[in-house]
Parts: sequence; structure tokens; C-alpha cells
Amino acid sequence: MMRKGDGVSEPDRTGQPKRAASRSVVRAMIWATVPVLLLVQLLASAGVEVSSFWSQIRQLDARIARVADSRAELIAEPLWKMRYEQVTSVLNEIMHDESIAAAAVYDDTGVAIARVMARPTGQAVAEVSRPIKYSNGNMAVQAGRIAIAYSYTTLYADTGSRLVLLLVVGLLATLATMVAMRISANIFIGRPLAAMMSAIQRSKQDGRAYPADVHSSNEFGQLARAFNAMQHTTSGALDRLGHMASHDPLTGLPNRRSLTERLVVLSSHAGSHDALVAFCFIDLDDFKGINDTFGHDAGDKFLIHISERLRGAVEAEDWVARLGGDEFVVIRPEVRDEAAAQAFARRLLDAISEPIRLHDKLVMPRASIGLAVRHADDPELSHLPALADIALYHAKSKAPGTVAVLNEALQREYRRRRDLELAIPAGFAEGQFEVWYQSQVDLESQSVVCLEALIRWRHPEHGIIGPGEFLPLIERSGNNVRLTRYVLTDACRSLQRLAAAGKPHIRIAINLPPSELADHSLAGEIRETCERFGVAPSSLELEITEGSLINNIASASETLRRLRRLGATIALDDFGTGYSSLAHLRRFPLDKVKIDKAFISEIPASAEDKAIVGVIASLADTLGLTLIAEGIERAEQVLAMREIGVRFGQGYLYQRPQPLDAALRWLDGRATGEGAANPALADSPSVVPEFAA
Amino acid sequence: MRFLRILLAVSLACGVLTPAGRGVAADARPLNIVFVNPGKTGEVYWDMVSQTMQAAGRKLNAKVEVLTSERNYRTMQELGLGVVARAEKPDFLILSNEESAAVPIVEAAEAAGVKTLLLSNTLIGEDAARLGPPRQKLRTWLGDITTDLTTAGARMANALIGAARAAKWQSPDGRIHILGIGGDEITPASIARNAGLDLAVAAASDVVVDRMLFANWTQSEAEHVTANYLSWASRKGIRPAGIWAGNDPMALGALHAAASAGLSPGRDIQVVGLNWSEDALREIKAGRLLLTDGGHFLLGGWSIVLLRDYADGCDFAAASTHVEVKTSAITRDNLISVSDLIGNRAFDRIDFTRFRAKAGGCGHYDFSVAALISSLSPPNGGGE
Repeated sequence: MMRKGDGVSEPDRTGQPKRAASRSVVRAMIWATVPVLLLVQLLASAGVEVSSFWSQIRQLDARIARVADSRAELIAEPLWKMRYEQVTSVLNEIMHDESIAAAAVYDDTGVAIARVMARPTGQAVAEVSRPIKYSNGNMAVQAGRIAIAYSYTTLYADTGSRLVLLLVVGLLATLATMVAMRISANIFIGRPLAAMMSAIQRSKQDGRAYPADVHSSNEFGQLARAFNAMQHTTSGALDRLGHMASHDPLTGLPNRRSLTERLVVLSSHAGSHDALVAFCFIDLDDFKGINDTFGHDAGDKFLIHISERLRGAVEAEDWVARLGGDEFVVIRPEVRDEAAAQAFARRLLDAISEPIRLHDKLVMPRASIGLAVRHADDPELSHLPALADIALYHAKSKAPGTVAVLNEALQREYRRRRDLELAIPAGFAEGQFEVWYQSQVDLESQSVVCLEALIRWRHPEHGIIGPGEFLPLIERSGNNVRLTRYVLTDACRSLQRLAAAGKPHIRIAINLPPSELADHSLAGEIRETCERFGVAPSSLELEITEGSLINNIASASETLRRLRRLGATIALDDFGTGYSSLAHLRRFPLDKVKIDKAFISEIPASAEDKAIVGVIASLADTLGLTLIAEGIERAEQVLAMREIGVRFGQGYLYQRPQPLDAALRWLDGRATGEGAANPALADSPSVVPEFAA
Repeated sequence: MRFLRILLAVSLACGVLTPAGRGVAADARPLNIVFVNPGKTGEVYWDMVSQTMQAAGRKLNAKVEVLTSERNYRTMQELGLGVVARAEKPDFLILSNEESAAVPIVEAAEAAGVKTLLLSNTLIGEDAARLGPPRQKLRTWLGDITTDLTTAGARMANALIGAARAAKWQSPDGRIHILGIGGDEITPASIARNAGLDLAVAAASDVVVDRMLFANWTQSEAEHVTANYLSWASRKGIRPAGIWAGNDPMALGALHAAASAGLSPGRDIQVVGLNWSEDALREIKAGRLLLTDGGHFLLGGWSIVLLRDYADGCDFAAASTHVEVKTSAITRDNLISVSDLIGNRAFDRIDFTRFRAKAGGCGHYDFSVAALISSLSPPNGGGE
């Protein structure tokens, strides 16, 4: 749409914008055509008039000449026959001609026989003179001469008045053309444009596509039809876009965005005052594994299955959504009580848990549900997803595959977790993290061979916090590397202290989080740190978990080899709890295996555990791996281990984790005292079960 | 011209040879003659025609009834047709074919068996060609009696030329310049006179007619055009020698104009006219007018003579059905003889019986001015 930028259309733009816009098209057209039209019309008519003027001049000349000739003929006889009064009257007759100013007849002696004068001669007087020839049967003589003076005044006046008339007619025609153009342009251009603009404005206001109300069959009608078709297409596209924006393309379920709207609807349509809303936050367990194992297409198919099951498991008034990844939400707007909500959530879990066939293999889906129940008029209704997420977190971390109901305890836990997470930077900055040490003992000689570095958080409010609680937070906040370096540095410093204390043979073990194994610079950093503190890398033991090996086999192997080349000892931690692949023991460059305390705690009562540990011991012996049992708390356990052939042990029987100074004192005490069999009671309280021991 | 002169000579000879004055037979039956006069009452020429006709009737035992159409040709036709339709048909009906208005009357008379004679104006042009000569297609049309005005015109011109030559009134170019004034250009009577002028001038190489002007037979218009001519002539350096006028009134107008221009007619310039009018005779007597030709009003009397002879068995057709009568000029020389006749219209002084054709000479008549003068009884006399 064209809009004139100059001031011409300015006064009209105070009205509706679209009218002004359409008017400016018309104006532009009029400004473009009317002056040309007027000019051409005036020039053409002036040209015609001028040529007509010249032709009239010529015609007048010719006419006067003819008049002179005819008068000469009429006058010849009376002149020759000297009827001068007749000559005068004949001459007088021509004075009716307005162009003729004067006329005279002269006889053959040159004397004026007759002379008539109509009016004083004005401008532009021309004269024509003709001989008067008389003849009869016997003779032909020139009897005299006629002279006629005539003026072009009437022609000038006529032409002038015609020009004025043409000008007026031209102006009127131009005016009429302008009016006609304005009217027709308004009808044929302005109106359809306004209709389309109106449709566009309405569409802009509420995002829906309105058709333009134009029914003509001309180009604008075609444009309007094309516009309407486009609007229709746009409308469909907008609908699809709206649907896409609020729905998950894979499962067709509403998405996270819809969830917000849904909650608003729920709160505004709260039925009875005490109606309860059940909010189930569903997370599939180990969906990543399915993707890794069967591929993403199968993963998508799996998700579609799950969504269909959820749809099938709910009532019409319930609402199912997929928030993304493996997260689903089911809202039941009215439940009787919390128990009913729990039952509903469990039914959902049951529905999900039916086996699914993927690539001809039956997969057992498993999910955890965080359930939050609130009154519909609860002002915190919009926080339902977060609340349910708290419960879900709990379920996933404490009891995967179950329903966790949000309660005060969980909320407290959540708030504490959140507090801790926020306090991590301050913890680093203020040195709140401490490395404690727990000794590993040669079960035969009862001598301490190694100290395991264990991280603790001395929180100013919450006191000593165990790694089991805050390590996931550290990992989530991306401070893993920093913490590892922190521990490494502390370990090296402690080695110095041990050496200084005359115990250079005691090594220190550090737990490496899985992410560190993917870091190729780790080996270099360890060497550099050891050099800095003047300790041998061979004094370090690096403990890894099976999980960290599984996730990144090639990279992990390479890192382990580098670390071993430094002289460090590699220990496999928590053996028996994870995948416990015996193949790992062979494939990776390991020196040491730590048997998880779960196998130790029931020993010697449990014959099965003794059998398992025995198998592990014989295998380790075969593979040349050193074995150490975790969680030694009682003396009979020591005996049992020695029977089985496990050389080393670690546990409260000997020493609880302690800050270095305490540990050093404890070591000094052991060295001076004889009671190696009497483990000293740790002077620091154990806050939480050992994370890594 | 030569033919005319021979004709004139023969007629004169006949007149001389024919014994004059033969009485009307006593037993001659009276004739009933009607004349439809085309002219106006008071119109000199036609009044005189009627008067001579009636004077002759009185002498020749004919009752002449004159009907005047007052110059209205429709009236003329109504009068003529009325006469033809009469129960008591006249013996002869005399008509004048002015403006060819007499043709329907002649044709009606043919149907009614009334004998007709055309006077002064006969059939011309298409009518003549269509109806043929007298007594053929129209058996009752006996013939016509007309005047030889061409000879009259020539005679007038020759008189002017003679006088001018005698007075040596040549212009600087050595030629004698004359003005001609005609009555009109269409009537046969006018055309014939003008032709006479042309004939005379054509024969005289030292004479030129500067203009032939037309004055509608009237004195005032003649005076006007003459004045114009004289003015023009003086501008042209021409010495005007004479003025030829087709009738006496125009001659009188020319006289006045000449006098107004400072000329003295009769001494500086000569003027001739035609008609034997009283005014003309007076001007001749005064020496201002050279002559007036004419006497053709006597056609009225002469027509009665022809019809009397015809009725009495001496048919003029023996010579010709077209009887042409010569005019004569009145000059100072013969003025005295005819001035009383004309001045008093004393036509009863004329002895019309003397003009009848002699036995064996039917159709041969002497209507000359000499015969006329010799036929006259003395003034105030009751005739023979």
C-alpha cells in the first residue's frame, strides 16, 4: 500500500489510518493523472482552437473575397448603367456582415461612387479589392473597382470567448473526472483495501485470521480472494502453530506451556471450596538407557506408548501432559482425599509398568511419581509443578519406581537442599569444605597402609554435612572439578605431613567422580600437584566407581592408564553394588578392588555373602588384584575376611573418618599403644553413613 | 438598313401611286370591334391609340369598344376572356401582347371563333414558335400590326450624328460621344429602338455610344442617369455630343440634366426623343430638342382600316399577315402641320377612308406622315 509522505495527504490523516491510506492512493492517482489530463486537454483544445482560428482567418479572407467578387458582379451593371443609388444599396447589403468595417465602389475614373462604413475601424483591418467587370453581348469592360475593409475583431472575440469556454469546460471536465476518479477509486480501490486492512487489523488484534469482505470480480476481488485464501492458510497455520506451541509434537499431549494455562484454568474454575487437585509429576526411570540401547526412534516410540497408556488410564476430566524428555504430568482436578490421590498415582504407575515390546525385546518401563495434592483455591496452586517435583526428586533419589507424596518433611528436605546448593560458592570461598581421613588397615599386620580422603562440609548453620547429601548438589552446580582439585591438594599436603611424621609408607586414596575420568588433563594435574608438594604420585590411590567406567569406556581406560603410568594405584570402589561386571576387572587397568560394605555387614552370619566375597577374593587373586573390604565394624568380620583371603579392611572398627590432625594423633597413638585390635573411638561424631568408605 | 430604306421607298411610291380618299361603301355593314387596352387610363400613348381607333371607327362604320386593363395583365386577360365568352361575339378583338399576356386570350378566341388582331406587340419567342404564323394553327388570329421602331431609332441616331458632325462636337479623342437612354432591356418595343441606335452608330466609325443607360421610360430616372453620365464624362474628359432617348419623357429628363450640368441643349448638345408628345413638340419649338420620332399611336386608326378592308373582302394577308408601319420624325420643319393634331388630339381631322387599300392592291397601305398631313382637314373643321 502506497502512502504519500508529503504534506498533501497530511490533513486527511487525522481520521482512520486505513481510510487515509486508501485516500492517499486515490490522491496519488489524481495528482498523477489530473494535471496531465488538464494540460493535455487545454493544450489540445487550445491547439484545435488556434488552428481553427487560423482556418477561420483564412475562411474570412476567402469569404470576404467571395463577397467582393459577388458584389462586384451585382454592382457591375448598376455601376456601368450609372444607377448609383442601386450601387449604394447593393453595397449597403454587405454591411450586414459584422466582419466588414467599410466598403467602397469606384468607377473607372477612380471616383468613389458609393462608400459605406459600418463602424470605426479597430485593430487588424484587412482589405480586399476586386475589379468590377461589366459585360453584355457586345462588350466587356472594367466598370470600376470594389474595395472592402474588414476586421478580425469578431474572430478574435469569438476565439477568445471560445477559449474561455474551453477552459471552463476543461476545468469542469477535469473536476468531473476528479470526482469520478475519487468515487470510483474509493469504490474500486479504497473500499477493498479498507476491507483488507480492517481484516488485517482485526487479525493483529486477536491473532485470528479474518477474511476481507470484498465481493467484486475485478483485480481487487481477485486480490481479496487470494488474501482470504492466504488468511485461511494463515489461520490454519496459526491454529497449527498454536497447537504446536501448546502441544508436544511427538505424543500430541499438551506441553509445559499448556500446563501454566491449565493451572490458571484450574484455579479459576475451582468447583467446591474443599475440592482437592491431584498433581502427578511422572519421570521415567532410566529412559536414557532405553535411548542408548534401542536408539532414539525406539525411545520416541516408547514415549508414545507411555503417553497412550497415561491417556488410557485417566478419566475424561483428568489432564495429561508431557513436559519434555521423559517427564509427564497428570492432573486430576477433583479427588476425595490424599489417599485417593495416592491410589490414582499408583494406578498410573501400574499402567506405565506393563511391558513394552521394542525391537522384539520386552522392556519393563519404570517410573517415579511425585504427587502433590492441594485445594483448588490454594493460592500456591501455580507452584504445584515445583511441589510435585520435590516429591519426585525424593522418589527418584530415595525410592525409584514409587510414588512419593509431598509432605512437610520432603518440603523441609527440599528447602535444606536448596539452601545448601545456594551456599556452595560461600562454602568454597570460606573454606567450609574439609577433608577427613579414614585409615585402611592390613588385616594381618594391623598396620595402617592408606588413608582415604573423605570430604565434609562444615556448614555454619547445619554443622557437619556428609558427602552423600551435598555431592549431588556440587555435581549439579558444576563444581566437581573444583572440589576434586581441593581434595587432591589437601591429600598432597597430608602426604607431606605423613612423611614429616615419619610415616611415608602410608598412602592416601582419593575418590574420583565419573566426570574426572573423561578429563585427559587429570593425570597432568595430579603430577603437577604432587611435584608442587614434593610427594610421589605412587603415594596416591585413585578410587573410581563402576558407573564412571561404563559411561565412557574408551576415555576412562586411557585416563586410567595415564594415571597408572604416574605410579598411582587405581582402585575400583563399591564393587558388587553396580553392574559388577567381572569383565571390567580384566579389561581396565586396575590394582585394587574395594568390596562394598553391603557384602560385609552380614558377615559372618550370612553364608551367601561369605560365598560371594569368597568368589570375589579368588577372582582377584587370579587377576592379581588387591582386595579391601569396606565397612569393617566388628572383630569377627576381620577374622572372616582373613579366612576368605581378603588382606585389607576399612571401617569403624578401626577408625571413623577424622580431620587430618586427629587422624595423625590416632596413628601416633596406635604406634605407641599396642591396642591395634582395639580400635580407637573416633573423637568426631559420624554424622552420616559413609559415602565412599 | 438597306432593306428598310427600300421598303420605305416602295411604300412611299405606293402611297404616291395610290389615289387617296375613297369613301366607305354605303352598304358596308357596321363592324363590332373590341380593343383590350393594356395601358393605364391617362397613359398618353395607349390613350391616343384608343382615340385614333375610335376616330377611325367613326369614319369607317365600326363600333369600337375599348376596355382598359390599367396595366394589370391579369385584368387584361380577364377582360379579353370575358369578351371571348360573350354571347354576342364581336367581329374583331384587338389585343396587344404585352408581356405575352395576350396568348391565352388569343387561344380562347380561337376556340370561340372570334377573330383577333395583335397590335403593337405580337407573338414572340416560344409562343411564336409554338403557335406558328397567323391563320395556320390559330385560324382566327388574322395577323398583327406593328411599328418599325428600329428604323425610328436609327433615324433618331442619324439626326444626332448629323447635327454633331455639323457642329464639330468631337471629343479630344476625335470621336463623337453619345449617351443612349433606353426604356428597358426586355420589351420588344424598347429592344427595337435600341437596335436602331446600334445600327446607326455601327455605320458611323467616328461615333461612340459611351453608355446605354436605362431609365424605365421615366423622366426623373433619365434625368438622374444623365446627370451621372455627364459628371462621369467631365471626369473622363469627354465632350458629350448628343443624348439618344427612347421616348420623349426620358428626352425631357435628359434636357433637364444637361441644363443642370450647365449645358445648353440645342447649342452645346443635341437630344432626340420619340413619341410625338406635346412636351416634346414644345421643346422642339423652343429649339432645345432636335426631334421627336413616332406617330405609332396611329396604329389604332390603321388597325381599323385593315379590319374594315378585311371585312369588306380586301384581305391585308394578300401582302402579309404582318403589317409593319413606319414612324416619322417631327422636327422644326414639319412641326406646324401636326402640332394641332397632337396638341388637341383632333384625330377626327384625319380622313381614314383615304388610307384604305385600293382595289387589286389589298394589303398595300401608305401610312406615312406626308400622307397623314395631306389627309388632314383644316383645324376645327369637321373633316370631309
